[in-house]
Amino acid sequence: MITTDNLTKSYGDTLVLDRLNLNIKAGELYCLLGANGAGKTTTINLLLGFIKPTSGNAFINGLAVSEDPKKTKKHLAYIPENLMLYPSLSAVENLDYFSGIGGTHLSKSQLEAFLDEAGLQKVAFHQRISTFSKGMRQKVGIALALAKNANVLLLDEPTSGLDPKASNEFGLLLQKLRNKGVATLMATHDLFRAKEIATHIGIMKSGQLRQEFLATDISLSDLEHAYLKTMDYKELAL
Amino acid sequence: MYQFNSKYELKSLLRNGWIQLMTLLLLGLFLFAFYNGNEKVDKRKNDIQAAFNEVKESDQNMLILLDSVQRGMEVSASRWTIPTKPMAVGNYHPRVAAMNPGPLAFVATGQSDLFSHYIKPKASGDDMALNFTEISNPVQQLFGSFDLAFVIIYLLPLIIIAFTYNVLSSEKESGTLRLLASQPISMRSWVFQKMGIRLFWVVLMIGVVLILVSVIIPSGVNIVELLPVFGVTLGYIFFWFALAFAVNLWVGSSSKNAIALIGLWLVFVLLIPSVLNQMGNALYPMPSRTLMINEMRSAKAEATKKQDQILDNFLRDHPEYAINDPNQNRSFYHRYMASQQLVREELQPVVGRFEQQLQNQQQWISQLKWISPAIIVQQELNALAGSSTKDYENYRKQVTAFAESWRQHLLPFLYSNEPFSTDDYENLPEFQYQRLTSDTTLISIIALVFIALIGVILGFLKGVGSQSTEKFITQ
Amino acid sequence: MIRSTLIKELRELLRDGRVRISFFIVLLLIAVATWISKTQYTITNQQYQQADNEERAVWENQGEKNPHSAAHYGTYAFKPKYPLSLVDQGVDKFTGTSIFLEAHKRNEAQFSQAADQTGLARFGDLTPDFVLLFIIPLLIVFLGYNAFTKEREMGTLVLLKSQGTPIWKLILGKWLALFLPVFTIVFLLFIVAGIVLSNLENFGVFNWQSLGMLFLIYMGYYFIFINLVLFISLKMKKSGIALVVALATWILACLAVPKAASNIAESKHPYPTRQEFASNILQDQKEGLDGHDPWNKQAKLLEQKVLKEYKVDSLEQLPFNFDAYRMQKGEEHTAEIYLKHYKHLKTQFEEQSKLYRGLAVLSPFLPARFMSMAIANTDYATHWHFADAAENYRVELQASLNGNFAENSAYGEWSYRANADTWKNMPQFGYDPPELGETLTTNTSNLVILSVWVLGTFLLLFFTTKKL
Repeated sequence: MITTDNLTKSYGDTLVLDRLNLNIKAGELYCLLGANGAGKTTTINLLLGFIKPTSGNAFINGLAVSEDPKKTKKHLAYIPENLMLYPSLSAVENLDYFSGIGGTHLSKSQLEAFLDEAGLQKVAFHQRISTFSKGMRQKVGIALALAKNANVLLLDEPTSGLDPKASNEFGLLLQKLRNKGVATLMATHDLFRAKEIATHIGIMKSGQLRQEFLATDISLSDLEHAYLKTMDYKELAL
Repeated sequence: MYQFNSKYELKSLLRNGWIQLMTLLLLGLFLFAFYNGNEKVDKRKNDIQAAFNEVKESDQNMLILLDSVQRGMEVSASRWTIPTKPMAVGNYHPRVAAMNPGPLAFVATGQSDLFSHYIKPKASGDDMALNFTEISNPVQQLFGSFDLAFVIIYLLPLIIIAFTYNVLSSEKESGTLRLLASQPISMRSWVFQKMGIRLFWVVLMIGVVLILVSVIIPSGVNIVELLPVFGVTLGYIFFWFALAFAVNLWVGSSSKNAIALIGLWLVFVLLIPSVLNQMGNALYPMPSRTLMINEMRSAKAEATKKQDQILDNFLRDHPEYAINDPNQNRSFYHRYMASQQLVREELQPVVGRFEQQLQNQQQWISQLKWISPAIIVQQELNALAGSSTKDYENYRKQVTAFAESWRQHLLPFLYSNEPFSTDDYENLPEFQYQRLTSDTTLISIIALVFIALIGVILGFLKGVGSQSTEKFITQ
Repeated sequence: MIRSTLIKELRELLRDGRVRISFFIVLLLIAVATWISKTQYTITNQQYQQADNEERAVWENQGEKNPHSAAHYGTYAFKPKYPLSLVDQGVDKFTGTSIFLEAHKRNEAQFSQAADQTGLARFGDLTPDFVLLFIIPLLIVFLGYNAFTKEREMGTLVLLKSQGTPIWKLILGKWLALFLPVFTIVFLLFIVAGIVLSNLENFGVFNWQSLGMLFLIYMGYYFIFINLVLFISLKMKKSGIALVVALATWILACLAVPKAASNIAESKHPYPTRQEFASNILQDQKEGLDGHDPWNKQAKLLEQKVLKEYKVDSLEQLPFNFDAYRMQKGEEHTAEIYLKHYKHLKTQFEEQSKLYRGLAVLSPFLPARFMSMAIANTDYATHWHFADAAENYRVELQASLNGNFAENSAYGEWSYRANADTWKNMPQFGYDPPELGETLTTNTSNLVILSVWVLGTFLLLFFTTKKL
């Protein structure tokens, strides 16, 4: 469960996030749309406790991030835009390491089961990460979320740079997690993917959440229209 | 977190070839340093042995001569070299005053390339003429020796820096930092653990390499005797790891870390020592040796002019040497030895000034050495090896004392005009070098660990929430 | 292209806080080091002048004396400090500064500064040569390690490549950008040193040519480092690795190889110990002519030879004092023995030097170090030169003392006293170090090695990289 309460971040005079209020419940997937610099990544950084809010609060599973970032990270999984792992270790080893240092001790078969569930091909389990594509690394990231038994998932542009097939596959994985009751926040530019997998969609600009939709309430073209309008773009008259 | 860190750290280090490379590098460096150290020690031992053998040989000749003279036979030697004359024994058959190397001498060349390790003080020679320096190509002294102390003081920190400068920054640069930071861990303790693990491996490798090398190059030193050296090295390693820990948390990118650490290396290993040395020289300047020569010359010139008078005074002060016989036989040596005695006494304060300033400088260093661990280690290793300034000062004092007792042993013969005989040979004094022992090793190790702790605390002081940490993770 | 690269690089360097700080630190170090050296130089030279004058006064005021007593009384030759030691102290600290010149004996130079210092001094001194030889190459490493890797990392390399300019122009631009700051610092130092030295009164033989040559040597040394650092930056993919490799090169060249070379030289071509050396000479002397001992076998032979030559049958009939004559012959004989043993030392020294030159393949530091010391007249060869000059003077002095004795007294007349003016008329010891031209001729091989390094690294940098 992800909640933000008037979450604000400014650097000096520059306001990068302005009173953001979000409430993402279990089983919901919230897509944040917006141009570069709209405040999407700042929101994620605040939820991770990487940066401290200027005012307002962020909550993960009801716990304030700023109070105990360690505790809130316990059941949180995060996949950065370009997920990197240790190139000299294999997929299983990376998974073991990252879950292990967080306090989750798993057997080898459990680790393999999670990777399998995340859709990684069996042949890749024991290969070094240096040979992996971005899609494969993201699968390891999902396996880590599964291994940690995370109920909150933060994603930063996960589909950028993926080919359509991998992107589609990734969408399916997210749906699977959603069905398990994971609350997901995903920052993205990808309107198409957002419409397809999100339950809720928000459009941000200049640190403010300008518009929110239920994914079921809006068609893709209306979404694009709304997005561009928010961005002050003049649509091409066709 | 600890067990996962240690397990995968080792795996990564092995797979990246770091452990193998480090082991080979350390083995190579230590082997070469041990070899060089031993070579020097062996040469020193052989030289001393040769000197003893030579004396033994010439003693045999002396005894034969004595025997012939005592039996009233004609001998073919020049008359002033015949050993019935006490001064002939004193000047032509001096004893070897040797400074035998200690078991750890191979560890640090220290000052040993500057000084002789055996001297044969003559009865008539003045102490000023005792030249304690060794003839050698000064280029060797300028460049210094590739000994264990060099490897430990200069190279080991650089190896540690190469091994640790990017523990945190490489995570950022390779992109794993964000994933890592999203785990429920504290980054400071994570870095601390990583450092701890690397420290463990370095210590283990050095331990193994030390044992291996002492097996490959038998220097006659057993492992237990090497323990103090190992202890000091450990303290020094702690220090550099602590510094690297603090720099990893405080500085930032790999390049900046490396530059900061190399800068610190430069400061601790090269700049602080030379500045302290410079200041020591400025505070306690050595009097000029060239001007000392002038003083010495005038004192001697004075003494030569008044040799007869000096002898009279001398005999008045030493009635035991004054012979009642009115036809007493006053030879060159009677006058010479007496005036030498006077010159020695007169010049004592002049010569003493040098030793005093050297002691002052030494004192200054021991007070300020705590500023740089490199100085602590250098002083300690030199002390353990017995090649420090203090050791050579100690040796000089012992030799000077021995020269005095050598003279005092023979003077009664001279002034009572008594011939030296085979029976007196047995009673000739022998020199025995009393080595200094280093009692500061433990203090040095504790000091090094203490300084290291300051580094660790500095690292932990780095607030996780501070602006720069935010930037470090998010940018 | 070269110009724009140069301007861009310089701008980047100037805007980098680290560069400014390190530049400032190096300047500060140089200033402090030069000031310390200058102070020491002045003090040492004053002491030298004073000691030299006083010693001469002591010598001249011996009063009436037998010449041979004066010979035993002896005199001292003091080694002056040369102007360029302000820039490079060389081995001065480790060589003695005064030689006692007496009858029958060649003495080693005594009282090296290092023997009067604590172990701390072995870390090295804060002198201009320390900054020039160690710190500035390190500065080059820090300024240049990421010259190319940063372009690679920031992705600007692709943009540069797409401009279609030849690589060598790009390299040359960066090369100049690295060279200019180094040139500025070193040029400043040398100009200041030159002005300081030419304003010191009556000290030594300072000339601007030597200083200029020294400057060229250092420029060559820095060319090598700039070439190597840029080459490393070109070949490495990451700045971090380039930095580590460049630093390793520095450590190897400036620290490890010279020390290793010192150990190898010492063990391959060892010097005898002082005591061994002395007893070897004693051994040879025993078998030869002893000027003091008329009963010595060689002395008897000489006696017969001289009697035959002058066609007289007793020593009293000779037109000179045979005691003094014998002593002079003995002196000549000992001088020969010393010459032989010192020749052996010199052979060892030359062998060692050869070894250093051989190992210069591994480190450009070695030829630069030797050239710099040689030009500054602070190298070991100059010390030899001085010691030999002192020995020549000693031999001549002994000859004229013995000559005085022989001509002015009769055989057996040990009570002869030369008058008090005699000592004033004896020549004074004077020493001139080798001239620049002479130094360069004797050090041609080091000069060649350094040039090969410069050329080789230039070729490496500019001709081994066909594409980025």
